[in-house]
Formats: sequence, structure tokens, C-alpha cells
Amino acid sequence: MAELDNTIHQSVRLQIMSSLVALYAGEEIEFVYLRKLLNLTDGNLGAHLAKLEEAGYVKVKKTFVARKPRTFITATGKGRDAFEEHISALKQIIGAQQKTNLKGK
Amino acid sequence: MNVTNEDAVQSLAQVEEVMAKTRQSLVSTYAGPFLILWGFIWVVSYLGTHFFLMWVDWIWNISSGLGCIGTIFIFWRLFGRGSATRNPSDKGLVLRTILFWPLFFAYAFVWLSIVKPGNGVVLNAFLVTAIMFAYVVIGLWFGSWLMVVLGIVVTGFTLIGFHLIPAYYYCLWMAVTAGGGLLGTGLYMKLRWR
Repeated sequence: MAELDNTIHQSVRLQIMSSLVALYAGEEIEFVYLRKLLNLTDGNLGAHLAKLEEAGYVKVKKTFVARKPRTFITATGKGRDAFEEHISALKQIIGAQQKTNLKGK
Repeated sequence: MNVTNEDAVQSLAQVEEVMAKTRQSLVSTYAGPFLILWGFIWVVSYLGTHFFLMWVDWIWNISSGLGCIGTIFIFWRLFGRGSATRNPSDKGLVLRTILFWPLFFAYAFVWLSIVKPGNGVVLNAFLVTAIMFAYVVIGLWFGSWLMVVLGIVVTGFTLIGFHLIPAYYYCLWMAVTAGGGLLGTGLYMKLRWR
């Protein structure tokens, strides 16, 4: 039985993880690009990334490109596994509800 | 954690939406500017060829040259100052993608030197279908089905133009279908997928 993940379930963090998992394994996305994509503010994205990083679900790398600071984010293997399990748990909830509905009929 | 059925449905819908949006946004970021540039160049060049056939060589030499400069500029904008995504475990990907195009055209010209097309329409249809084949390959390579479909559809339009449309109207047909197809797809990506 898959379990829901408290860290991932929060709406913004679920969006962040969905976006990162949509990339190839090991592929990193730039902070500003992700912020615009998800329509978030710097502070909001930064705060939620900190939570995900604390849980070991994402890796944040700060680097310099053409002498400008840039931050890249990637989902870790642990993060991808946790995301998959969370999605499975959500599907199980829906499946269980459908079974209950069928029994009711 | 207490999650209702409605919450779960909503969350899964959100996940699917964000994943699709991410993939589309990246395809739009990397492919969109090239499609708009070359779509515009093809529309202008085909229309120019139809209305000013005596200047056909000038039209295509100048437009192709500008297209190459524009392509290098877009590459520099996308990758030179740091791209939206990167994959440290596959650092050669960008280089391989950049190398693909000059190699592809080198081979296209080798084939042309063997086939020796008899007139401009044959030469053009050969080059357009060859370029569309490259679009299909790139689409398969990067998992972008839109590029695959675009390549196949424009190839189909080119074959219709080549076999069924009178030669006089070939360039008009190609301006609308091939140039318009590239330009329209690029603009659609830019407006809807960003």
C-alpha cells in the first residue's frame, strides 16, 4: 500500500516536483525558468525548494555562467521515488472510492 | 493525512497539467525560435521566387545566409548565456545537436551531387523533404512528437505540391504549406506553450 507524502502533497511543492520529474533523470532546470513556468515569486519558490531539499528530494546547485550567478534544480532519485509513491497513493484513494461506489450500487 | 477523493482527483489533474506544461514549455523554448525564423524565411523566399523568378538565386542565397546568421544568434542566445535546462551527465548533447546540422547539409549536398536534380522544383522538393526528415529525427531524438508530426505533414504537403500542383503555383503552395507550417507552429508554441 503506497503512502501519501506530507512534504510533496502541499500544492506548490507538488507542482515543483511534477515539473522536475517531467525532465530526464539527472536533467536540471534553471531557477528563474522554473519560477516563471509555475508562476511563483522568488521567495515562494525558494522557500518550498528549501523544504524539498531538506527532505532530500531535490538538489539545488548554484553556479556562474558568463559571470552571472545561476541556480539549477534537479529531482534526486529519492525525490523521484517519493513522487511516484505519492502518485500511487493518490490513485489508490481514487480506486478505493470507485470500488465503494460500485458496492453501493 | 486526510485526503478526500476529490482532493486526490484534483492533485492528479494538477500533476498531469504541470508535467505537460513543462515539456511543452521546453520544446517551445528550444524549437520555437528556429521554426519562426525559418518559417518566415521560407514564406518570404517562396513568395519572392514566385513573383521575381529572375532573382531566384539572389533571393535564396541572401535568405539562406541570413537564416544561418539568425540560427547562430539563436543558438548563442539559448546556450551561450546558459540554457533553461542542462544535463551534467550528458554534456555532449548540445554539441552533438549543433554538429548534426552541418553534417546533415554536407550529406544532403553529397546526395545532390549524385542525384543531380534537373530543375529548381526538383532541387527544392528534395531539400525540403530532406530537412523535414531531419526534423523527424530530431523530434524522435528529443521525444517531441510535434516535431515528428510537423516533419511528416510538411513532407506530405511538399509531395502534393511536387506531384499534383502545376509548377507555376509550386512556390505559392510551398510558401503557404511549408513556410506557413513552420511559422504557424513556431508562433503557436510561443503564444500557447509559454
